Amino acid sequence: MDLQAQQAAVQAASQEMRRRTLASIPRPLDRLIYLASLRDYNSGLYYHDGLASRFSEEVVCEALAECHREAFGELFSLPLEELVEQVEAYVNSTHAGWADFIAAWRGLEPYRVAVPVDTERLSAEFFFSNLKVSLAILEHRLRASSERQPGAWPRRSPAQ
Amino acid sequence: MIQLILFLLIGAGLLLVLFALSRRAVPAERSATTLLEARQALDALQGMLPPSGALGRFLAEGDLAYITSCTPPNIQQLFMRERRRLAIFWAGQVHHSVRALRSFHLGQARFYAKLSLATEMELALSFTALLLICRALQIALYLGGLSPARPMLGRTARLVAKLCVVSATSFAFLESARGRGPNRERPEGNSALTATN
Repeated sequence: MDLQAQQAAVQAASQEMRRRTLASIPRPLDRLIYLASLRDYNSGLYYHDGLASRFSEEVVCEALAECHREAFGELFSLPLEELVEQVEAYVNSTHAGWADFIAAWRGLEPYRVAVPVDTERLSAEFFFSNLKVSLAILEHRLRASSERQPGAWPRRSPAQ
Repeated sequence: MIQLILFLLIGAGLLLVLFALSRRAVPAERSATTLLEARQALDALQGMLPPSGALGRFLAEGDLAYITSCTPPNIQQLFMRERRRLAIFWAGQVHHSVRALRSFHLGQARFYAKLSLATEMELALSFTALLLICRALQIALYLGGLSPARPMLGRTARLVAKLCVVSATSFAFLESARGRGPNRERPEGNSALTATN
């Protein structure tokens, strides 16, 4: 496959990914985490069975990497206030306990493996830093609400 | 006998010329990697600049306004510490890229670009000034925090922008190095993410 045909195939695959799957994931944080989950930790390559039935592995990998970079780009430009809202909505969508979630994200920092592999370090550090502050804000809100309603503080996880 | 010595001297001279020429040819063979590194350094510098680059993003007034109006002092302190850390990191990255660009200029650029004396002087001054300012900025950030160093950050960014313009014009041939690296093109309008291309 020549370069132009390859690029056209990558565009087609990424469009299909956006239309069929990513359109139903409205928040960029959720999209980022979902796309990171399609990446093999050992090889850094992306896999998607649905797309693989129509496109070559190489094309699928590049298309997913493009969507991943796009999601990260959106998150990078979000104001901090909106990022806090994104994290809050994400916690609610996972059905994990708030305290568990905050403790796990603070202790294990799983978001560090969620950024695209070729992200510039400064951008990645900025994203991690904003998440750290967001977690602190959410924890503060949680404490404030548990002080107003004693007993509302959810159970603690082993990560704490 | 004298003729023999003369021929030997001419032969030795020719060998020396060949040796010198071969030494000049080595950088040309390494040019792809060198050009790519220089291109990356220039892209990295451009990607770090406001408004779309990382510096503009982490100095955004909106974030500061949100933090000061909606969060308690301990979170405000955390925010300021984090921003200071990022600013120190930014200064370090700028220093690194400027050094890379200067090394390219000193070692290789003359093989590719015909620079005027004025441009040479301007580049040399910009390189030296920026390297010194980056270190001073890091010290100012360590000692005084982010707020007092904000004007200095702005001035550094303007100097970097100026250097980028001069470098991009002088080393226009670096454009050909774009896209040769392992990292592929990134989305449009996201200059902060294109920094390592």
